Amino acid sequence: MYAATIRRQARRHAHHTPSAPPGVPLIAVRGLTKTYGQKVAVDGVTFTVEPGRVTGFLGPNGAGKSTTMRMILGLDRPTAGSVTVNGHRYTDAPAPLREVGALLEARALHPGRTARNHLRWLAVSNRIPERRVDEVLDLVGLTEVADQRVGKFSLGMGQRLGIAVALLGEPPVVVLDEPVNGLDPEGIRWVRTLARQLAEQGRTVLVSSHLMSEMALTADHLVVIGRGRVLADCSMPEFIAEHAASHVRVRTPRAAEGETLLRGHGLDVARTGDELRVQGLDAAGVGELLGGQGLLLHELTLVRSSLEDAFMTLTADSVEYSAAMPQEAGATR
Amino acid sequence: MIDTVSLDPNRHVPGVRRPGFGDTVHAEWVKFWSVRSTFWSIAMLFVLGAGLTVLVCATSAEWLASSDADESPAAFVTWGMMFAQITAVALGTLIVTTEYGTGMIRATLAASPRRGSVLAAKAVVLTGTLLVAGTVTAFAGYLGGNWFLDREGIGIALSEDGVLRAMVGSGLYLAGLGLFAMAVGLLIRHTAAALSIVLALVFVVGNMAFLLPGSWGEYIAKLLPGNAGGGIATPVSFNPQLLGPWTGFAVFAAETAALLIAAYVVFRRRDA
Ligand SMILES: Nc1ncnc2c1ncn2[C@@H]1O[C@H](COP(=O)(O)OP(=O)(O)OP(=O)(O)O)[C@@H](O)[C@H]1O
Ligand SMILES: [Mg+2]
Repeated sequence: MYAATIRRQARRHAHHTPSAPPGVPLIAVRGLTKTYGQKVAVDGVTFTVEPGRVTGFLGPNGAGKSTTMRMILGLDRPTAGSVTVNGHRYTDAPAPLREVGALLEARALHPGRTARNHLRWLAVSNRIPERRVDEVLDLVGLTEVADQRVGKFSLGMGQRLGIAVALLGEPPVVVLDEPVNGLDPEGIRWVRTLARQLAEQGRTVLVSSHLMSEMALTADHLVVIGRGRVLADCSMPEFIAEHAASHVRVRTPRAAEGETLLRGHGLDVARTGDELRVQGLDAAGVGELLGGQGLLLHELTLVRSSLEDAFMTLTADSVEYSAAMPQEAGATR
Repeated sequence: MIDTVSLDPNRHVPGVRRPGFGDTVHAEWVKFWSVRSTFWSIAMLFVLGAGLTVLVCATSAEWLASSDADESPAAFVTWGMMFAQITAVALGTLIVTTEYGTGMIRATLAASPRRGSVLAAKAVVLTGTLLVAGTVTAFAGYLGGNWFLDREGIGIALSEDGVLRAMVGSGLYLAGLGLFAMAVGLLIRHTAAALSIVLALVFVVGNMAFLLPGSWGEYIAKLLPGNAGGGIATPVSFNPQLLGPWTGFAVFAAETAALLIAAYVVFRRRDA
């Protein structure tokens, strides 16, 4: 699965033309810190979110993603540091919804108000033409339930309404906090497509998640945080190259012979039965070495450790709330 | 189903002006009138304010006309407004606490980051509504109630001392009370707590304070918000110890203003 993902990404990056002329909208977070009493929620975070790509904001529960996003929107006051959107503070924007569209908590709605009215007051507040309300309702597929009270909405419908709110002002910058929460696979795919399309249109897109697998499919760039600190800030291929170790699995009836041969070429080899795990060379190279000596190969596969593993390893020290592993009889881990 | 999205980032909406305070007020207006609780509260305001006035006038007219009446009929023509106060408190509280209860305050402040404008817009919508609803209700109660008093020959003309003032005063007092409750709601951020505090202050503490001994006790009682502000809403008060209607209202307005300033200062600095 990951192999396929990576191939897709490689293709995407090959075609990706960075389009960042000066002055284009972006988010600049500098030394951002937020403490709640004794608790340091965000600790000197610095990163930028560039236009034309999806930036994944990844971190385990309690890492400080939502807090950072609230500070981007000027809702929480930073203890130290600053954040600008489009070169100025969010709170200085004349019509913020037309500059930045955000989904924070989708359930933060008055249950008695209809979806249409919720969008209407938002539109009115920023002088967004009211026909946009119908457009975004249509866009997220809520037209039929537009006049129902949102209290009756399912989790997924609420999430869709939250996305409609984010897109209401056709903003060049879009910030989505865990947009796939509560969505079914169809909905997840829809959000993923949406995020990609927004980026392809040249918008600046920041999407948070605590699922590496989700980010692998959506993001071009990754900012990983744990315990309020930035742990990684790099492109997805860089992250994969750096953090997802790979090896080549070979199955051959003459495994011992193969082991000696590969060791002779300075490769790191481990053998179990007729299976070899080779590190330090790609599958083609390993195949050529062994095939050149006439060794019969039953299997030759590039195995990547999953990105989820890489993410877990990276954030292992910074997981805020970790559940104890269930202790099964005989389980040793 | 929906798989694709089409948004044109280069689409410009021609002629869009930068939003101003009027738009913030308009947004608050849409918000205010798009929940049922607003309609219910206004309906209750009318039913209690006008309905109870008519009812008490209808049932007391005969006694008031008799020789053993020890109250002025003028005290009865706005009688129901005492109870209509509850709905003004409810509306004022809910206009802010529901936003905190649901977390919608974040959407509000993301849309309108200037917090002073948000607070002012809410105040405009709330006071505008309560001023009109309070005055209309007081008039309706007066017209209905006075019809029964007239039948007993003790009717009060609109031109009589304090009657017209009490009609407009009802609107003013309810608007002030709404603002007072809104300020408390903004400080407390919790519907039940804020409601209880304001209702207890106006109805319970306000009445009990008259039991305080000495002249300082009497002053405290007179200065409490409900006692100070309520006098303007009735031509003749049942309670002879109150401040004069306009003096009292000025005291109440000052108290409300002080509370609003405190709420604004906290609101401006606080995390949403
Ligand atoms: N208003 C607040 N008061 C006190 N502590 C807070 C507040 N908001 C957040 N925190 C704490 O700050 C830390 C970061 O929280 P935050 O919600 O930003 O994490 P997150 O990365 O969004 O996590 P999740 O994936 O669970 O949504 C947590 O430990 C949280 O308990
Ligand atoms: Mg979060």
